[in-house]
Amino acid sequence: MASRKKSLLKVIILGDSSVGKTSLMNQYVNKRFSNQYKATIGADFCTKEVVVNDRVVTMQIWDTAGQERFQSLGVAFYRGADCCVLVYDVTAPNSFKNLDSWRDEFLIQASPRDPEHFPFVVLGNKVDLDNRQVSTRRAQQWCQSKNDIPYYETSAKEGINVEMAFQTIAKNALEQETEAELINDFPDQIRLNSDNNRPGNTDNCQC
Amino acid sequence: MYNRRSGNDWPTLPNTVCYVSFQTMPNGLDDQEKLLAEAVGAARKQAFQMNHFLDKERMLDALKCASTMLSELRTSMLSPKSYYELYMAVTNELCHLELYLSEKSHKETDLYELVQYSHTIAPRLYLLITVGIVYIKNDSTLKRSILKDLVEMCRGVQHPLRGLFLRNYLLQCTRNILPDVLVAENEHEGNVYDAIDFVLTNFAEMNKLWVRMQHQGHSSEKTRREKEREELKILVGTNLVRLSQLESATLETYKRLILPGILEQVVSCRDAIAQEYLMECIIQVFPDEFHLQTLDPFLKSCAQLETGVNVKNIIISLIERLAAYNQRSGKTSGNAIDAIIPAEVELFEVFSVQVANIVQTRTDMPLEDTISLQVALLSLAQKVYPDRVDYVDKVLGTTAQILDRMNMNNISHLLSVNQELSRLLRICIDFYNNALTIIQLLNFCPLLEKFDYTSRKSLALYMVMNILENETQVPTAEQADSLLTIITPLIKDDDSSTAATTNSADAEEFAEEQGVVARFIHLLRSDEPDMQYKMLQTARKHLGNGGGQRLKHVLPPLVFAAYQLAFKYKAIAEQDENWDKKCQKIVQYCHSTISALAKADLPDLALRLYLQGALVIGEIRYTNHETVAYEFMTQAFSLYEDEISDSKAQLAAITLIMSTFEQMSCFGEENAEPLRTNCALAASKLLKKPDQCRGVVACAALFWSGKQNGEEMRDEKRTLDCLKKGARIASQCLDTGVQVQLYVELLNHYLFYFERGNSLITVAMLNQLIAKVNEELPNLEPSEETKQIESHYKNTLAHLRSRMESNDTTLEVSFAGITLN
Repeated sequence: MASRKKSLLKVIILGDSSVGKTSLMNQYVNKRFSNQYKATIGADFCTKEVVVNDRVVTMQIWDTAGQERFQSLGVAFYRGADCCVLVYDVTAPNSFKNLDSWRDEFLIQASPRDPEHFPFVVLGNKVDLDNRQVSTRRAQQWCQSKNDIPYYETSAKEGINVEMAFQTIAKNALEQETEAELINDFPDQIRLNSDNNRPGNTDNCQC
Repeated sequence: MYNRRSGNDWPTLPNTVCYVSFQTMPNGLDDQEKLLAEAVGAARKQAFQMNHFLDKERMLDALKCASTMLSELRTSMLSPKSYYELYMAVTNELCHLELYLSEKSHKETDLYELVQYSHTIAPRLYLLITVGIVYIKNDSTLKRSILKDLVEMCRGVQHPLRGLFLRNYLLQCTRNILPDVLVAENEHEGNVYDAIDFVLTNFAEMNKLWVRMQHQGHSSEKTRREKEREELKILVGTNLVRLSQLESATLETYKRLILPGILEQVVSCRDAIAQEYLMECIIQVFPDEFHLQTLDPFLKSCAQLETGVNVKNIIISLIERLAAYNQRSGKTSGNAIDAIIPAEVELFEVFSVQVANIVQTRTDMPLEDTISLQVALLSLAQKVYPDRVDYVDKVLGTTAQILDRMNMNNISHLLSVNQELSRLLRICIDFYNNALTIIQLLNFCPLLEKFDYTSRKSLALYMVMNILENETQVPTAEQADSLLTIITPLIKDDDSSTAATTNSADAEEFAEEQGVVARFIHLLRSDEPDMQYKMLQTARKHLGNGGGQRLKHVLPPLVFAAYQLAFKYKAIAEQDENWDKKCQKIVQYCHSTISALAKADLPDLALRLYLQGALVIGEIRYTNHETVAYEFMTQAFSLYEDEISDSKAQLAAITLIMSTFEQMSCFGEENAEPLRTNCALAASKLLKKPDQCRGVVACAALFWSGKQNGEEMRDEKRTLDCLKKGARIASQCLDTGVQVQLYVELLNHYLFYFERGNSLITVAMLNQLIAKVNEELPNLEPSEETKQIESHYKNTLAHLRSRMESNDTTLEVSFAGITLN
């Protein structure tokens, strides 16, 4: 069983607009970077196969819109996440301050089983720029205060620390997943004919 | 065992309570929750079984479960948000199915055929897509044909909500496999053009489904429908995101295929909600570099949008994005700002022409939106071309023309268009923070004249405040003239305005305004004295018509500025041989300005300015200065005699006249004598005895320290005469309190001249006064005034005592023999 074991990990990237969420994912998945700014609307994912602890896992990386107005359908995609990546821009203090609310929002919306120990990873992006505003110390302190969240300083542009950060993300996600698996949850008992009582497909459309 | 995620990521089921009555709030929140939980529960059950069958490698059974699970998505009961939750849950299971299938790579069975046996179309297509992706991943030469097939097959679902989500699934699944090369090694793998075709087709279909929602159902549910459409918009927009993610799509491709393809669909769908959102979406998801090269087609399309579309917001959003791009790139690259936006892109010209075009075509656009567009253009010019004052001026000119064409004049401050227009002008003022640049804008004033008086006035105030905050010095008469023209509403009343309001709040506000103008006058400052004089003349012309209420605030600064200028000429007398004549002119200027104040029924103010003038003239000593100074003094006198009637004001005025005269040394005896005599006369003619007493005593200074041929007079006799006269008047006072007060004051005066060596003043005189006060003071009734008199007297005695005890040999007089008690 163990030899064939293959997992699907769901990872969500959150953070203010234009901190570099899409760029980080692109650097990691496609090894590409572009200086052009394109806003992300809604949320969709990329997949990448990674080897963690000798296991091949498929990582489903959800890139999200930093601007709330681009999430008109809500954030149902948070649910079932195995790891949440919080990104800020080291040259934009506000994006750092907002990490708190991104984290809270995630915990409320995703409602993981054990919020205290849910794996987060924080990335301080754009370290290649010279007008840095948030110090490493400050970021580390925040991460320590939140149950020792792993912290990486990255540059999606130069590819600094990206690979390493996502390795950690995958590893922590996998641990979370294994943990979750131990709680084997069967669906509700099967009630015969219960479907007959359900309203729903009542219109004439056959599609 | 195939490892999977089963239930832990489902929303939790609310406890189903069996006695809840049915049919309450068919679309209420609770109902939605319940429906969603049921659907998710049912799907979860099937997913569990599907995974079970997958473990057992019973493919057909697994697919059957998958199909049943997917049929949950056929519901019509869920709101878009709930449906999205269900969709997320179900597609997450499909991911597991996909993973399983791609690992197994069932070459032997034709899954692509197999899944089509599913008896309802939506589940069938979800499965078809899932399997199609697996096929493509296993054999990329199938890519082109399968993608084409899938995007066509999805036409089978025409129910808007289901169709949108189905196609969103297609879009999501194909994300990683869209062909993104210019030329494929094997043509069946497809190239980027196939990808563009694929996404554009999907986009067009999704947009049609989305627009169709608008026209289904009862008209009473329009609001709810629009809200639902609003929620679903990101599904349609995701197509544009996908297009922007194609790396092989160059600017050229974007220009030739992508943008025209999108715009065609946007314009032809004729749906306001879709148009507004998609245009905004284009702006957001494609890079600035592309926008810069496609402004024309984009803006042209804006002109063709439906009447309900807020074109203004679209344009503003584009302008803001490009301006931010300019600033961002400027910051990171450190280049000069104009190097970032390519020189061949004439950003301002293009926007200017296209905005004009939009204004012309969209006749339905409210005027304030038209003006907002001009505001956006203006901020574009300022952010991207900060040096191009001509661009800003052009925008103002265009705005004025628009108003001209509509025959808009005297635009009321109550209109909303007025706010936008004001914003336009305020932005200019704020941006330059230099009023001198503002007057270079030739169209600023013509535009300003379109406003009504109230708003012109508030803009004028805004402008003056800006000048004060930045301490903008105005160095030429021409500039002063322009600025004063702009602030005319502060300087004089509206020609058409009716009776001025005069309640106290208004009066206070008015005084504050005029104070601001007065401060502004001090900033009219040139290093060139001749220019300064010209400027003062200009200002005088502008400020002269404001009526007494304004004159009292704004003319004095002019007079003082002129006095300062006269001193300046005096200082450069050696360089300017005409300084003398120029001073005469300045004095004339002051004289006429002050007499204007006198005529405006402001005698107190005029009197003071005349006295100030006399002092200045006395100091400067140009040709003829004595006669003119005498004239100024007599002007002050006649104002005193003719205009000032209040006794307190009279005493204050005559005291001022006397103290001015006391300081002046320019008069020959011929002129000095009548002035001196008149002062004494005026003082003795004051109405109230205490006033008389004080006036006469003050007069003593004229005979003591007043000048005669440049020297202090020291006329001991006449000084003493004044004091004696004062004492006599004091003795006539009936009010003991006042009398004692006057005696204490007199004692001080006597003492003053005694100490300075007036030999006619004797110790006996002092003793007599002290005895008088000692006798009367204890009889006074205790009061606040009495207290003051007592302390004044006590201090005087203390002074005396210290003098008597002092061994200071420099004292001119002996204090011996003074009896204090």
